[in-house]
Amino acid sequence: MPKKDADVIVIGGGIIGTSIAYQLSKRGKKALIIEREDLCTGTSGSCDAYITPHTKKPGFHLGLCLESMKLYKELEEELGDDLEYWQKGGFQPCEDELSFQLVSENAKDLMAGGLEVKMMNIDEFRSYEPNMSPNLVGALHCPSACQINPFKVVMSYARNLKKLGSQIMTNTEVTDLLWEDGKVVGVQTDKGEFYADYVVNATGCWGAQIARMAGLEAPIEPRRGQIIVTEPTSTVIKTTMQSGMYLVIKFHPEKITDERTKRLGSGFCIEQTGDGTILIGFTREFMGYDKSTTLEGIEYIISEGCKYLPGLRDMHVIRTFSGFRPFVADGLPLIGPVDGIPGFIMAAGHEGDGVALSPITGKLVAEMIVEGQPSYNIDAFSPNRFVKQA
Amino acid sequence: MAETNKDVLICRCQEVTLAMIEEAIAEGAFSVDGIKKRTRAGMGLCQGKSCERLVEKIIAEKTGQAPADILPATSRPPVRPIKMGTIEGERNA
Ligand SMILES: Cc1cc2nc3c(=O)[nH]c(=O)nc-3n(C[C@H](O)[C@H](O)[C@H](O)COP(=O)(O)OP(=O)(O)OC[C@H]3O[C@@H](n4cnc5c(N)ncnc54)[C@H](O)[C@@H]3O)c2cc1C
Ligand code: FES
Repeated sequence: MPKKDADVIVIGGGIIGTSIAYQLSKRGKKALIIEREDLCTGTSGSCDAYITPHTKKPGFHLGLCLESMKLYKELEEELGDDLEYWQKGGFQPCEDELSFQLVSENAKDLMAGGLEVKMMNIDEFRSYEPNMSPNLVGALHCPSACQINPFKVVMSYARNLKKLGSQIMTNTEVTDLLWEDGKVVGVQTDKGEFYADYVVNATGCWGAQIARMAGLEAPIEPRRGQIIVTEPTSTVIKTTMQSGMYLVIKFHPEKITDERTKRLGSGFCIEQTGDGTILIGFTREFMGYDKSTTLEGIEYIISEGCKYLPGLRDMHVIRTFSGFRPFVADGLPLIGPVDGIPGFIMAAGHEGDGVALSPITGKLVAEMIVEGQPSYNIDAFSPNRFVKQA
Repeated sequence: MAETNKDVLICRCQEVTLAMIEEAIAEGAFSVDGIKKRTRAGMGLCQGKSCERLVEKIIAEKTGQAPADILPATSRPPVRPIKMGTIEGERNA
């Protein structure tokens, strides 16, 4: 192998890639991030930023989310930047008896998993969030839910990893992997060849393309989410909210009868940012890499939104955008080394949890590389589940 | 722009100064979207109508790119702020 350019090459400068590179740098490794466009231009630059443990599947998923939340709290101090970590609490409002029932059942499992949540009837819910519609049935409350600013997180990781001697190349596209004796030893880019001991694939919804270069068929697909943004207003809601229908869609898709909901896979969610703008989402559609927003999608989000928060009718939309969740068929990301492909590590496919799981993913991947083993068992995420047995 | 006051507001809606934009460029921003992501310039009520040209000009000066080569911001509907009740009304009419 020609001269090494870094200990580890990380492909992708989103919230996952920058987290991994930062955690590696902290452990004394030199990382080189190679990003096709600019930092935070992929999904991490067009998403919401909820960290909502109550929307995670009780058990393993919930456990990881709680670990990640702990890390976020420490990170602000460690990185020395304001990441706009904001523990404002979250609700899961329910519009009908079915969703209220499912959310109540799930609440029991969440509590058994160690999370503090509480079911509230509509009057109690509205004592917290008086602007929500009185026609709803009730809501689940999770006091520890929070939000973060993903741009700030990515830029702060970037600043800190550079201070620790690692590097970032933007505007550089990986076009192939480089091999020596059956081991991945680097990447071919449009700016030349780069060599390292390990290559990490942190390209999110583009993860399948890079995996294919390594000979792995990873079932990662882009799942579009459209979001609308309002003008800044005074405080209308104080917490983050994701409707209980989201749970019905996620875990009981067969119970959805409305055609539009089936097609757009929507579920109301809303947050108000520090500067007063309100983000309302979102759809869940398979449209390839088409990043446009559609009239149907926007209309649907607005009509859902007005149902939950009638005051939206008098507010103005100033912008819409969409992003691609890195969707994986079995709902779990691919994290870790791959049997038969030494030197290559996957860290992609976080679907709608990448912001929440960024700190823990970075830590575990860095531990795998530096210590040979992660401190938290994530065998369930192993990409080996997609390796075809010869 | 060498003698300009660094505190001059380039994006009025989001109160982003020239100094903040120059810092973002120093950190690696090379497009209007890159500036937007790092500083919020262009994300205000006017959605960049007043500041985008200025931001483009600063990027051109600082990075040596030709103004025509600088990636413009991605803009998505609506073009003007629109009342949500109006959109909802049309749908249910
Ligand atoms: C509408 C929406 C709402 C969401 N809300 C939430 C939420 O509330 N909470 C939450 O936790 N998560 C949320 N998510 C999910 C979260 O945004 C993603 O899981 C996360 O951003 C994925 O990060 P990433 O770093 O893996 O991918 P990305 O940010 O997409 O980064 C991958 C990078 O790889 C680069 N790349 C691709 N191919 C190449 C190549 N060949 N060479 C070099 N570089 C390449 C891309 O340019 C990109 O920058 C949401 C997503 C969407 C779409
Ligand atoms: S002046 Fe920058 S968004 Fe309005």
